[in-house]
Amino acid sequence: MVFFCKYMHKLVTLAGVSLLLPLTSQAVDLMPVIPKAKGQQCVESTDKMRRNHMEYILHQRNDTLRKGIRTPKYSLKKCIECHNAPDKDNRVAHISSKQDHFCSSCHTYVAVKIDCFECHADKPKKTQYHPTSREGH
Amino acid sequence: MTALSIFFALLFYAAMAVFVVGLVCKIIQYSRTPAPLKIPTTPAPVTQTGVVLRMASEVILFASLFKSSKWTWIFGWMFHLALLLAFFRHLRYAMTPDSMLWPLVNLKLIQAAGQYGAYVMLIGLLGLFVRRIFVDRVRYISAPSDYLMLILILTIAGSGTLMSFVAHTDIVQLKAFILGLIYFDWQTLPADGLVITHLGLVALLMFIFPISKLLHAPGMFFSPTRNQIDNPREKRHISAWGKAIDDAEAKMTVD
Repeated sequence: MVFFCKYMHKLVTLAGVSLLLPLTSQAVDLMPVIPKAKGQQCVESTDKMRRNHMEYILHQRNDTLRKGIRTPKYSLKKCIECHNAPDKDNRVAHISSKQDHFCSSCHTYVAVKIDCFECHADKPKKTQYHPTSREGH
Repeated sequence: MTALSIFFALLFYAAMAVFVVGLVCKIIQYSRTPAPLKIPTTPAPVTQTGVVLRMASEVILFASLFKSSKWTWIFGWMFHLALLLAFFRHLRYAMTPDSMLWPLVNLKLIQAAGQYGAYVMLIGLLGLFVRRIFVDRVRYISAPSDYLMLILILTIAGSGTLMSFVAHTDIVQLKAFILGLIYFDWQTLPADGLVITHLGLVALLMFIFPISKLLHAPGMFFSPTRNQIDNPREKRHISAWGKAIDDAEAKMTVD
């Protein structure tokens, strides 16, 4: 570690300069913009939902499909009805829209693929997709 | 912003500084360390291309280790391969979706392989740990730091695996924290025990990396038995300080 002493003054200068970097760095959106839900209160607290929503939905899927247990509490259909609610023209976002679809906004941000909507609808019944909300259209 | 977030932000800046400066110093030191003798382990390549290929087989496949101990090789190689997978999986926390590398990071293969690679890493590390305890001649030469380093990495891998498979954290907020460090715009760190353990130990690892046995990573490339061309007859091997003495002597004879 002799080099530490030898280059100490240069290192101190470098450290000083790097402390000024925050002044020059440009603003970036560090958090995804998450579309607001229609309802007032989710089935669990926000903290719990952010950590464990996938568990609730997955367990629900296995219980419903294999054992026939269908409880209204953790229902993907209800998630979608509240979190992808139609606007006044009865339009909703498509799952491929990372700006407008509730699920995609976070899932795109952290590179987590979701397979729910390979089978399930990503919109409530009797709604139309917003014409511009499909990515690549 | 919580006190915890500020503490971890400062911790990571300090850890990064020590890691980068320490590593650069070590690499400079290694590059200046004389290799006065021509000592490639034979059979050795006789061309520069051959040396590059030999080095690649060492770095990618751990060829020498394979020849010397199959058990150490399989566990060591499993661990290092999983480390590479984990690196690619963790990249998603350090870049935004509009990054150039995002299509790679976003690949389902990378994310899935990285996630299940956790088990490969744990098996590899446990194998290496068991080896230190149960192989007599290895236990005889094992120092406390050898065990502690394995325990440190095992705890990091274990806490990460638990977060992935058992007790999730708020990864959106976590990513915001990491990006906040990079863009100098600090964000809150989710205060889960596993996150704090994982990140705290990673910072510790960064602090001790430049003074630990983990320096085998850069050190590998400076190993004279592996990085030298086997051409002692075609080309005289002489180090810089040896040449200086030669030149001085030559000058004296002329005078």
